[in-house]
Amino acid sequence: MKSTKFSELTQEQIDRKWWEIGDFFRRNSLWMLMYCTGCCAIELPPAMTSAYDMERLGMGPMATPRQADVLLVTGYLSLKTLRRLIYTYEQMSEPKYIVGFGSCTINGGIYHDSHAVINQLDRYIPVDVYVAGCMPNTESVMNGFVDLMTLIKNKQANGWIKYKENNDWYKQNQKEALGEVKIKDEFHE
Amino acid sequence: MASLELLLIFTLISGVIAYLVGKVHPKTGSILTIIVSGIVFASLAYFGLNEQLLTKVSYLPYISFIQTPLAIFFGVLVSFVFFMVSFFNPYFIDKYTYKAVYSLLYLLSLAGIIGIFFTDNFMTLFFFFELVVWSSLFLIPLGRDEEVSVWYFGFSVFGSFALLSAILLMQSVTGTFDITTGLQAVSGFNRLSVFILLLIAAFAKLGAFPLHYWLPKVLTDSPDPVTSIFSGGLEKLGAFIAVLGLVKLVPTGFFIDVMDMYLTHYILAILGSLTIIGGTVMAIRQDDAKKLLAYSSMSNGGYIIVALSLGSSAGISGGLYHIIAHAIASTAAFLAIGAVARQTNTTKMSELGGMLHKMPITYMVYLIAIISMAGIPPMGGFISKWLIFQGVINKGLILVAAATFFGSIGSFLYVFRPLAALFLGQELPQFKETIKEAPIVMLIPMVILSLLNIVTGVYPTNILAYINTLLVDLNIVQLDITRWTIVGTNGTLNPALIAVMFALGVFIAFIIFISLKKSRKVELMDTYTAANFIYTEELLHYSVDFYAPIERLYEPYIHFMKKFYQALANKVREVGALVKYYIFTSKPEVATFFIMLVIAILLWGDLV
Amino acid sequence: MMINILIGFGVALFGFVLQTSLGGINRKIIGRLQKRYGPKWYQEFLDIFKLLSKRAISHGWLFDFGVIMALGGIIATATFMPVTNSIVAFPNYDNFFIFVYLIAVGMLGMAMSASGSGNPYASIGVMRALTTMLAYEVPFMIVILTIIKLTGTSSITGIAEFQQLAGNNWFMIALPLGFIVSFMALMGMLGKKPFETYIAPAEIASGPMVEYGGKQLGMLFIMHEITVFIEVSLFVHLFLGGAENILIFLLKYAAVYTLVNLISNVYGRFKIDQVVKFFYKWPLLLAIVQAVIAVYLGWVI
Repeated sequence: MKSTKFSELTQEQIDRKWWEIGDFFRRNSLWMLMYCTGCCAIELPPAMTSAYDMERLGMGPMATPRQADVLLVTGYLSLKTLRRLIYTYEQMSEPKYIVGFGSCTINGGIYHDSHAVINQLDRYIPVDVYVAGCMPNTESVMNGFVDLMTLIKNKQANGWIKYKENNDWYKQNQKEALGEVKIKDEFHE
Repeated sequence: MASLELLLIFTLISGVIAYLVGKVHPKTGSILTIIVSGIVFASLAYFGLNEQLLTKVSYLPYISFIQTPLAIFFGVLVSFVFFMVSFFNPYFIDKYTYKAVYSLLYLLSLAGIIGIFFTDNFMTLFFFFELVVWSSLFLIPLGRDEEVSVWYFGFSVFGSFALLSAILLMQSVTGTFDITTGLQAVSGFNRLSVFILLLIAAFAKLGAFPLHYWLPKVLTDSPDPVTSIFSGGLEKLGAFIAVLGLVKLVPTGFFIDVMDMYLTHYILAILGSLTIIGGTVMAIRQDDAKKLLAYSSMSNGGYIIVALSLGSSAGISGGLYHIIAHAIASTAAFLAIGAVARQTNTTKMSELGGMLHKMPITYMVYLIAIISMAGIPPMGGFISKWLIFQGVINKGLILVAAATFFGSIGSFLYVFRPLAALFLGQELPQFKETIKEAPIVMLIPMVILSLLNIVTGVYPTNILAYINTLLVDLNIVQLDITRWTIVGTNGTLNPALIAVMFALGVFIAFIIFISLKKSRKVELMDTYTAANFIYTEELLHYSVDFYAPIERLYEPYIHFMKKFYQALANKVREVGALVKYYIFTSKPEVATFFIMLVIAILLWGDLV
Repeated sequence: MMINILIGFGVALFGFVLQTSLGGINRKIIGRLQKRYGPKWYQEFLDIFKLLSKRAISHGWLFDFGVIMALGGIIATATFMPVTNSIVAFPNYDNFFIFVYLIAVGMLGMAMSASGSGNPYASIGVMRALTTMLAYEVPFMIVILTIIKLTGTSSITGIAEFQQLAGNNWFMIALPLGFIVSFMALMGMLGKKPFETYIAPAEIASGPMVEYGGKQLGMLFIMHEITVFIEVSLFVHLFLGGAENILIFLLKYAAVYTLVNLISNVYGRFKIDQVVKFFYKWPLLLAIVQAVIAVYLGWVI
């Protein structure tokens, strides 16, 4: 990095260059962690298999949050699963993105008046791309992924930075929804 | 001290002094063992390797010494193990019931060792052999279980009787007790008998199949330093006698052309293979770390037997090198486990976890030791295993080779078990506060042994050159070595090159690692749990039944030797009860009568 | 000496590039088999560099040290690998046993680091990996014993040249049973289905790799690619007569690797005890039969 060619650039500019190169790799190799809570998850098999073949975009399923880049939240989230979703999201390595599926993640969808289900996912964790519809068809799922790639290219997929910067606000919202955790052992929360 | 006799007397006398001092202040007595064994090792190593030991005997009756490369090889190695282990004595002395006796017995065993290796007379050898057996016999009950010493005694008696019969048979045929000339002069069927008897003694001492039963028991339940002594030192007595029998006394019998070896040796190689398989299979399923390493010692004893029975230069030098490599590695491993046991008072792997975070140096010592034990470069175990494989493949012994390969891969399994369950994994809360790294005096021998593990793996030339002089003494073709390479029958090995490449590879990997973005440090408990909240360390620590799937496959078949020996023990007990009932009754005159009768029968030929 | 070391690292780099590209091509081939379009041929490079660019987590010094040791050990092993008869970094020192045992340093580093992460899935994965190793290694080594006994050398180039001199009589043909056994063992070594037990993403969350992300995972991917290179080219040299020039090497290498992939893609996954039982039944028996036939009876085609 200390070659003469780059010596006129400031450290910030060098970092920026590296970041752009990294963005190229990141958008061409998105590994997903599927958090299949709701019915939208059924759209993922056709997206992965021969009908739409998401592997040609460089996407693939991964086993654990540590390895994954994109968290797919496919549908409604009850309060109990929200806590686990946050835990999972915080375990992912940066940079990390979230794609919200279906109207449930946008405004609660058909569960909008349920006492046990959250309505706006974006209040708790930062969502980069929504795929609207109840449920969305596979074309729009694929379109959502392509949108995410474009956002990464334009440096607009920075939900994880927002989460870091406005962490207090997110934590506040999470606490309001979930309430304080009283007992901590493996059977209670 | 260049004189072997003075060295022997010095050790014996300082044993008594250590006992007397230990009566007043146990710790000082045990510190004395460090000094004495250090002096013994230093004089044996310095004068022995320069061939300047004095063998003249002027004070002790009936004892004569000889200075052979074989004796120096074993003497230096075993006294080194005694020296290294003695650093642990002061820290463990408080745990024993009889503190002063421990130091005495420790030094008596050391004296016995000197006697065994350096004598040229078989009767003297037997005398010192018994000295070692008896002094080590009383070291064992200082540990956890006293019954194991009975097992040890039973097998040792069996071995001793075999040795004594071999000696007497040899003497009656040749008329001499001298080891070299005697073994050369035995001929015909007697040669075969002496051979078999000697090997029974060797097997009993080495803990090889089918006389292995005592070894894991003793190594598990004796005190931690004594375990290291047994594994690294006393077990090698068996190897010494095996060298005498297998190499110095080759019985001519049925010769298998296609394998290029005698039938007797092939049978021994098969027994060695069974030892390897048995040791490996049993080691995989142990929960006690010491017991696991005990079975691994048994398995490595099998390697030594296989290697020595090959009779080729690669085989025998491999076997002798394996004796060194295994002595160093297993002593280090046992000492590391002993250090953990001192801090936590347990060696059960299911109760331990995360020792790495509090005892990093002990961890590194254990890591290096197991790399050597598993035969992975760049450690000493690789050189010896490579040589043994050369020998086995060159003879084309398919079944033996299968066993050695199985043992070698199996050793990856069992040595990893304590690493994962005991040192790695979650840091259990009961050890978070209380555990510290072992004291610095205990770390000294462990670090020295680790360095030696590396040195024996990177630059084995000096040791192999010494083994070559030893091979000349044993009338075997020398191994072809140059400064950096070992030339086997079907390939050349350059250990230093491997080590250099490994170091460079790690360096490159380190450069890659360091030049990338810095990682975020997280806690051990912050780990992937499929999004479940778990706050208890035990639930995230996988250490119970580690190899359960593979254990299930052979579990029903492993107890046949145990059943056999238990049944035998029951029979012995019954006969004892019978004798006690009929002879040692409440009337002393009956007992006296029977004793007189037995003496009369024994003296029948001389009296009438 | 310096130039040899450079050649060695060149071989390691070559192996990485070759296997990573071939891995991508194979993903495309499998995609086509499943009537998909498949990823780009350089997809595996993208994956690895992406991982290296991410910000990872670390569970302590051993977690990182194990990864470094793993990659270092594998790079060191690859430096000894001959590519063709003439491209070999250290002639005479390309001993077969180096590959079996030096590769184990890398494996040990990875296993250590994985267990050090404190995740039980990782420990289970390591346990399964070691058990699988115990299963496939013994039959494989018996076949290797046969080969070394027949050729009288354990040098990989020596064995390859022996086959070329014997009138292109590859050991694949001369030792048919041994070839079958070794091919199964190769599938076990590469962790391909049906012996994929220790990765098992749906079962134990990718086993040893469960806690890795970012640069550590990227380095382990590099390590994995080089490991595959070592194992497949070992197979090429031992059974397919090695290679006179680099083109033949590439051809043979690609053929073996693609065949392994094709076979593995029609299988499900064994349970771990099934793996052990499988290898200790037919492959072990076939290997011993082959060894007896070839070594004691001397019946070699």
